[in-house]
Amino acid sequence: MIEVHNIIKKFGRKQVLKGVNFTAKKGEITCLIGINGVGKTTIMNAIMALTPINKGSIQIDGKAIKKDTFDRITFIPDAITVLPHMTIEESMQFMRDYYKSWNDQRALELLSFFKLNPDEKIASLSKGNTAKVNLLLGLALDVDYVLMDEPFSGIDMFSREQIANVFTSHLIEDRGVIITTHEINDIEHLIDKVILLDDGVVIKQFNTEEMREVEGKSVVDVMREVYQS
Amino acid sequence: MKSYLKLTNFEIDRFFKIYLVLIAITVTVQIIGTIIVANDYMNRASRIMNEESLQTSAFIHNYGYFSLLNLMDSLWFFGPIAFCVAGLIFYTFFIWYRDWYGKNTFIYRLLMLPTSRLNVFFAKATAIFLMVLGLIALQLVLLYIEELIVELIVPLEFIQFTSIPQIMNAINSAYVVLFPKTFIEFILIYGTGLIAVFTLFTAILLERSYRWKGVLMGAGYCIVASGIFLSPVLISELSGNYYLYIGEIIILEVALGCIIIASSIWLSRFLLNKKITV
Amino acid sequence: MKVNFNNRDPVYVQVVRYFKQQIATNMLEPGQEIPSRRELASELKINPNTVQRAYKEMEEAGLIYTERNLPSKITKDEKMLHSVREELIIEAVDSFVASVHSIQVPFEEVVAILKEKYEEVSDENKRGESND
Repeated sequence: MIEVHNIIKKFGRKQVLKGVNFTAKKGEITCLIGINGVGKTTIMNAIMALTPINKGSIQIDGKAIKKDTFDRITFIPDAITVLPHMTIEESMQFMRDYYKSWNDQRALELLSFFKLNPDEKIASLSKGNTAKVNLLLGLALDVDYVLMDEPFSGIDMFSREQIANVFTSHLIEDRGVIITTHEINDIEHLIDKVILLDDGVVIKQFNTEEMREVEGKSVVDVMREVYQS
Repeated sequence: MKSYLKLTNFEIDRFFKIYLVLIAITVTVQIIGTIIVANDYMNRASRIMNEESLQTSAFIHNYGYFSLLNLMDSLWFFGPIAFCVAGLIFYTFFIWYRDWYGKNTFIYRLLMLPTSRLNVFFAKATAIFLMVLGLIALQLVLLYIEELIVELIVPLEFIQFTSIPQIMNAINSAYVVLFPKTFIEFILIYGTGLIAVFTLFTAILLERSYRWKGVLMGAGYCIVASGIFLSPVLISELSGNYYLYIGEIIILEVALGCIIIASSIWLSRFLLNKKITV
Repeated sequence: MKVNFNNRDPVYVQVVRYFKQQIATNMLEPGQEIPSRRELASELKINPNTVQRAYKEMEEAGLIYTERNLPSKITKDEKMLHSVREELIIEAVDSFVASVHSIQVPFEEVVAILKEKYEEVSDENKRGESND
């Protein structure tokens, strides 16, 4: 379980996160929703120790992050994290070189799942394919938790569909996923848990099936209620 | 350890193209310079000998032999060296900032590797250090080649042969940095270089952690580090009291250098683990 | 397999309903194997946990059964199969009655229109089949 406990983050004098609390379980897809600039990416960066927090704590399976944790949790930001002159094959080799958790078989599977050409250079990829390579490099790691920042933003419909299909496939199997998005439509039926952020705090969190069952509301209904009141 | 070596190799690979350009510029400019300087000397020699009707020995007596030192005093020789020095100083910054501001945010990957983040720091420092040593080795080989070229242009009777150790004794003090005379000197000079790289890296990480405030902190760190390092020399010079023998000053400098390196590593480790922001 | 899920009913309930329809129309036969949780999730593009939940509900209701580690199968219990059909019919009729009732149509008129429409649909289906 990933536990985010009361984190506060300031940029200069501005408090961006004002005490954020939530948990994300293994085997579940947790979705962080909020308008741009609400601090979703900052939360992800904080979980991965890529930016310091001013207060609060973050634990992964009960422990603070350390170097070995990066073989158990991975973050797929919305920009690609390998170098432009590398080919897809070379970037896979780079990952294989450093990560114990790299799974070659799964990497090949993802390669064919996304219909990517391993000899193509990162720099020459379309936006959609860049996003797919980004996902490939993260998902080919045998990790317990995957964090994804806006995997659907700025890419074409067919790529979006393909990426959404990953979530229902065995490629995500039993992992804990945290995903940020400001567009829920692509994944409304895929997610287990929703965390709504506004003005630096979690204003509502709920289980999607429970919400439908108990209150008969869709995720969008709840968002409308919360954000437009 | 394995990750450190792989990262070092990776960092060298990334710089290699620019490095080859530096090498190419140095080789080309110095060799062209050698030819030009040697030809100039010979032109001048034949003109003067002609005008003043001098014998070779009289010319040499009045105007001097030709030696590699003629070349080393020319812009052709130290120009490319200065260019390489500038290039490496620039790269000391670029090696970090490119990972933040490049087309792809590679810093995410570097900081998420399942290895100590300090390995990234050491790999970058090692890469720069190895490239400096590489350029110096190149310069030594190049001097030897330049001597051969000189022999092709200038008749032997005009040449005062100088071995590299002789050059090292004769050259002006700026080149001592390039060609240390003793092993101790080598250690002191390149140790100082290493201290400088570590200090600069720490300053860069301060900036990357605290941004604008970090610029001041980084500048402050550099000033304090150089102040401490230079303090034994400065105190003697300023007070006019030379209490310490040169040997004692060296030992003191080595100790201070170790302290600065240790504190740079400690501070960088802290920043990379706790304060860095992508 | 294609299901249009609505966003307001629990997805697992919709999956169960979908299975009941398939059973009632004999698209799924008694004793037939059903897809694994993962297969169904990727086919319907829904969360595997949701499919898990739906299968659990169906198992508890006796619609499917699992022997040891084999894939789950549709029940062979005649009474159960019959009641699934009954339940769907009654559900459909209930909602039909509710909407017709709300526009206050007399019963005889409803029956007449119903008969007419029903024959139309059956004819169309027959024609459709003979064209194949």
